[in-house]
Amino acid sequence: MSDIIEMHLKLLFDLDNLLDDMDEPKYKEIGFKIEDDERLTLLRKRNDLLKKLPKEIADVYERLKKRYRQAIAPVENGFCFGCFQQLPTELLTRSKQIITCPNCGRILYWRKK
Amino acid sequence: MNLASLLSKERINLELKPGKKEGVIKDLVYSIKKGADAELIVSTLLKREELGSTGIGKGIAIPHCRSLAVDKLEISVGRTMKPLNFNAIDKKPVFLIFLIIAPPQDPGNQYLITLGKIVQIVKEITKKNLIQKPQTPEEFITLINKIEKEIGKRK
Repeated sequence: MSDIIEMHLKLLFDLDNLLDDMDEPKYKEIGFKIEDDERLTLLRKRNDLLKKLPKEIADVYERLKKRYRQAIAPVENGFCFGCFQQLPTELLTRSKQIITCPNCGRILYWRKK
Repeated sequence: MNLASLLSKERINLELKPGKKEGVIKDLVYSIKKGADAELIVSTLLKREELGSTGIGKGIAIPHCRSLAVDKLEISVGRTMKPLNFNAIDKKPVFLIFLIIAPPQDPGNQYLITLGKIVQIVKEITKKNLIQKPQTPEEFITLINKIEKEIGKRK
């Protein structure tokens, strides 16, 4: 995955988590209030970011988001942290734009140490 | 979960350089992560700030977000003796900042629970006028521990 695609995907994912958290009743209970028009601004930024991605990647992301809520799963100790299945070792050698989990299909992300 | 156990003295800066909101957030993030990961976190935090300040009033701000860049809940604390403009909801300056980054996968929603706990504790700190009291990171952790226990006893 190119650095710029990876950066856009990660930011998109983090913004989606922000939007999801804002909808949690607990978040409002704590006292963080977000006005509706501010939320719309964030949604617009989110969509701008989505347009910066190659269409096929944006489509995969949106499809996975609809299915799982979180489209990207980090990899920890060789496991997909979306479905907790062990990943085949040859996965990293594939020369695709994005690497997805062979079991659940989520986009995989290896954290930088 | 015990909040004091999530704090580390290396990430408590009681003499934070006063400056603009963005610079302060960056300084606190850099104590947790460096490089591209830090930039990603800063970018998400600033987008959150655009939606409405996390300056919750009474001199306290709690910038927060989830990020792929971390694999566990990370907290960084900054205190400044000089007033900091954070566009807080009460329009008053900020003196104490708790910055929280949580991983996206979070069973049991620990992130929001911790966020709620921090709000409760820091409100107590301001009520007792203790923001400027701790002189060292160790004293700060001790204070958080004490307040947390006091709150726990009331329940």
